[in-house]
Amino acid sequence: MSQEQKSSGSPIPGIVIGIVLMVGGVYLSGLTQESAVIKDLEAKGIPLNPGVTVAAIGVFLMLFPVINLFFIKPLHEAINERNESLERTFAEAESLRSEMETMRGDYERRLAASELAAREQIQSEIKKAQDLRAALTTEATQRADALVSRAQAEIESEKAKVVQELRTHVVDMALAAAEKVIGENMNDERNRRLVEEFVNTVEVVK
Amino acid sequence: MFDARVSRRYATALFDAARRANVVRAVEDDLQGVQAVLDGDAKFRSVLMAPVVSAEEKLELLGKLFGDRVTALTMQVLRVMLEKHREPEIAGLYREFSALRRTSEGVTYATVTSATPLTPEQKDAVVARVAGQLGRSVEAQFTVDATVLGGVKVAFDNYVLDGTARGTLRRLRERLRYEVLKQN
Repeated sequence: MSQEQKSSGSPIPGIVIGIVLMVGGVYLSGLTQESAVIKDLEAKGIPLNPGVTVAAIGVFLMLFPVINLFFIKPLHEAINERNESLERTFAEAESLRSEMETMRGDYERRLAASELAAREQIQSEIKKAQDLRAALTTEATQRADALVSRAQAEIESEKAKVVQELRTHVVDMALAAAEKVIGENMNDERNRRLVEEFVNTVEVVK
Repeated sequence: MFDARVSRRYATALFDAARRANVVRAVEDDLQGVQAVLDGDAKFRSVLMAPVVSAEEKLELLGKLFGDRVTALTMQVLRVMLEKHREPEIAGLYREFSALRRTSEGVTYATVTSATPLTPEQKDAVVARVAGQLGRSVEAQFTVDATVLGGVKVAFDNYVLDGTARGTLRRLRERLRYEVLKQN
């Protein structure tokens, strides 16, 4: 901003000073043309003319505003514009980068959240599957145990039933044999003794 | 169709009339005779039970068979039953009348079963023993059943005194089966 103020200052004093210096230099050149010092320097190979030098400075000071107007100032403005463009570009790039960083962070957070949710869901499903497997295994084991127990009980029951039927059959067979033997060996004497025994021992209990 | 309740009703009326006339034993003998003819003569039984034979013809037949052999009371009851078409119930009249008479006299009716016929002494001994145990008179009907193997069995009211070999075997079988069941 200060540079702009400097460059935008009035050029008139410089031009006036340049004119003065140019006129003064021309006049001074006339005065010093015959000077011994100048001649001595020319003799030594140093062609120094102070009047010309001052006039040249004056011309330079007069031309400087023109140079400044047509070359330096546009160049300066172009540089400034370029700098501002670059600054804007950098700012936009920085903004985009910041936005991108924000979006990336957001994306990473979402991704992390999604991964976490997915992981939790997977763990939950795994736990459900494990629980279901354990429940099914337990149920199957219980059913198998119950079937085995029932089968064993049925086997024991059938075994006991068969043994009982066998014993009953043995009893029936033994008594049938006894009945046959008694029938074959029964005679009047034995029958008489049975009747007498009945008469002697029978009791009516009411 | 035989109906024991009808027989009992006629027997009760007959028993009351016979007791009033003091001819209970005579009437019972009459009924026993009628029952013996019914059981022993199938032809007479079929005629008596035939629905195609009229009541008058049946009365005439009964009059010829029993008119001069049974009391007037017995004949009167038979006539009434024929007129009421209660021929089948005549067969149960003797049993019901005897039961009423025994109840009236406090006599217990017993059935004595043996493998072979009992001698008169054995019959008397059995009846005397049962009567002594019961404390009242006993009338016994003796039957022979070879399947009892040996010994004697007396049945009266709802009681059975089983002194037969088959009864002993039956009790032994029940005892052994009980022991078998107890083992399980």
